[in-house]
Amino acid sequence: MLFPTVQFALFFPVVLAISWALMPRPKLWKPFILVASYVFYASADWRFTLLLAAVTLGNQAAAVLLRRTEDERRRRRIVAAAVAFDLGLLGVFKYYAFFVQQWEDALSSIGLGPPVPLLTIALPVGISFFTFQAISYVVDVKRRQAEPASMLDFAVYLSFFPHLVAGPIVRAREFLPQLAKPRDPSRVAVGSGLALIALGLVKKVVIADYLGRAVVGPVFAVPQAYAAPDVLLAAYGFTAQIYCDFSGYTDMAIGLALLLGYVFPQNFRSPYRATGFRDFWRRWHMTLSRFLRDDLYIPLGGNRRGKLLTYRNLMITMVLGGLWHGAAWPFVLWGAFHGVGLVCEHAIGGRLRLPGWLRWLVTFHLVVFGWILFRSPSLDEFGTFLSRFTVSGPASLWTATAVAAIIVVIGTQLLPPDSLERVQTWIERRSPALLGAGLAIVIALAGATVSGQGVPPFIYFRF
Amino acid sequence: MNQPRDDSLMSRFDRAGLRRFTARDAVVSVLLAAFLLVLFEGHSVLRAGERMNPGVGRTAVVAVGHPSSWIADRLPLASLADKTTAWLSPDPSLDGGGFDEPSAVAVGGSIPAVTPEAFSPQAIGAKPHRRRLKKLLVTGDSMSMPLDSVLAKRLVDKQVDVVRDAHLGSGISTTLVVDWGKLSRAQIKKHHPDAVVIFIGANDGFPIPGAGGDDVGCCSADWAALYANRVRQVANAYRQGGDARVYWITLPTPRNSARRKIARVINAAIAVGAQPWASQVHVIDTVPIFTPGDAYRDAMTVDGKDTIVRQADGIHLNDAGSTLLATEVLRAIEGDFVL
Repeated sequence: MLFPTVQFALFFPVVLAISWALMPRPKLWKPFILVASYVFYASADWRFTLLLAAVTLGNQAAAVLLRRTEDERRRRRIVAAAVAFDLGLLGVFKYYAFFVQQWEDALSSIGLGPPVPLLTIALPVGISFFTFQAISYVVDVKRRQAEPASMLDFAVYLSFFPHLVAGPIVRAREFLPQLAKPRDPSRVAVGSGLALIALGLVKKVVIADYLGRAVVGPVFAVPQAYAAPDVLLAAYGFTAQIYCDFSGYTDMAIGLALLLGYVFPQNFRSPYRATGFRDFWRRWHMTLSRFLRDDLYIPLGGNRRGKLLTYRNLMITMVLGGLWHGAAWPFVLWGAFHGVGLVCEHAIGGRLRLPGWLRWLVTFHLVVFGWILFRSPSLDEFGTFLSRFTVSGPASLWTATAVAAIIVVIGTQLLPPDSLERVQTWIERRSPALLGAGLAIVIALAGATVSGQGVPPFIYFRF
Repeated sequence: MNQPRDDSLMSRFDRAGLRRFTARDAVVSVLLAAFLLVLFEGHSVLRAGERMNPGVGRTAVVAVGHPSSWIADRLPLASLADKTTAWLSPDPSLDGGGFDEPSAVAVGGSIPAVTPEAFSPQAIGAKPHRRRLKKLLVTGDSMSMPLDSVLAKRLVDKQVDVVRDAHLGSGISTTLVVDWGKLSRAQIKKHHPDAVVIFIGANDGFPIPGAGGDDVGCCSADWAALYANRVRQVANAYRQGGDARVYWITLPTPRNSARRKIARVINAAIAVGAQPWASQVHVIDTVPIFTPGDAYRDAMTVDGKDTIVRQADGIHLNDAGSTLLATEVLRAIEGDFVL
């Protein structure tokens, strides 16, 4: 069930009303929201709920075992087993076909047959997100940054439908305290919630899908057929599209959670405003960045063991971060590219002094270059795409709408943050009736821009 | 308890100036939005439900969709909203030649005459007249992707203009997403292709209205006949009175047994639908290529190497499968055109 669909528009008001009706009675509210979240997830494929339940049981068992022992060696082993369990599931469902095909290609090149069956396995929606949340829970408990939750609380935390399929990756220590007592029904951020839902809808349905349909999809599918002006537009177009697609989803998720009384961490903070790679990762998919930092980079040693090991740790973190996005070489190289960028920044330190606008310009275009790699189906296609920058020809896809959409998406991120906050504060002060009517108008207008083929899935759903 | 670094900005909604409302306000504002949408967009609920796969979700959406649609029908607001927002729609307006027109449904009573177009040159040992291919339309539902881009890449150096026009979620047996009777005519009018490659059927299996107006459910002989008639109508539009060539691709056997049954009937209907114009409408059968004996498989040997050719859904072809299929399609095209 996608957020911008009629099914969800029917599902959510019912869940919202019952949720607040049951909120004063946590013993009823928690089972209710758990069932609602599983119904939401089962709408994709009911069999996936078995996997979600297995991840819940496996990681809760680890948390319970952690509570029972103070022996650090034993605690480390428990965490290692839980992480291996989660990554094992991720490996089977997400990477099996990729790695087996690579293995088969390597073996057949030396005349050997396939070692294991070549099979495709359906990717359960959101597996990358909920397995990471489960890992963060066990790690938080191990580090004593969170108490082990009850089985029911942990199940609600992992399956809570606003963040279930594409994040943000909410840490246990951020969500479990909110579950500890009923949310206050007299202090609901209705204005922010509805504004975020409307904003997310516009970003996804109006801007991202339009750019995908009109510019990005055609060029990335057959770059050979386009010349420099169009591939340039497609590169900027995808930069705007992926931001609107993913941050649009996140806005909706955060807005829905706010209406239910819960706060999620921020996931985007004007990422195209960044003036360096480190700055970019503090603004883009922030909940993944801190997961990678806290649960991979720092345990590897972080920057505590000298320059070379810091660089190694950065590269490992970013390459694995790239692989997290999908089982394909372009994702791995995209991660490595950002890793190299971070290493260079570390190596240069403060020695190179450039004006702010130049740092922004360089960073932005390096990020755009990275997105070309990210969007290319294969390395061959990436090479073809780049080669088209040298081919002169007509700007067949340059329309006022496409150019305006890209400028608006990137330009608004360069505005001072307080100007956007002022707009948000103004919206938040309107009456609920006006906000509801406003949301209806936005949905109707956004819906009118949807093609008969429906709303394309969010890009991050496949991760 | 250890205190971790807090960079999640969890308190960002606690800033001064943020107005807080009650939970009742939250529910009322969302319900108000839903109510207004029923008044202005009531039909959309029913349409969305009808497009869903059978199941509890579909039943629930259709159950809400009927009263929503009823209300929208009785108020002028829905048509006002449609008129006001029509300019925003990315879909082209289609007119004429739809599946719902009487000529599309009627089945002739007389014995249809066999015409010369029923004989492919190869079948009667004649030499085909080959000409240069200038424009190729590759269309269909999601099955036609990524075949369309593979074909476009292969033909870009041969100065062939490849038009890619996939309509996701659509089908020959349903007009809910798009009416392929109308769409095929509109595509021809717009692009005038020399050849058309069509690969469709992943979403099919919907009931089709019969000659008497009643819906005929999948997958009886009656349904197959109705499907074949629609295939024939679309193929007839694409062949442009014999000026163009059509390459209709059958469905490779899917993994799911229910879909396998539908695919088998669709493939049989495609073969029958194309019969009158065997010289102009070629059926490219994927079953012997990808699923010999109608047995599903994920991988097969390609160029001496075991290769996964299907996507994880067990329906679509992946890049490797589409590349293999593109070779077969180009071989068929080369029988009619100089590349």
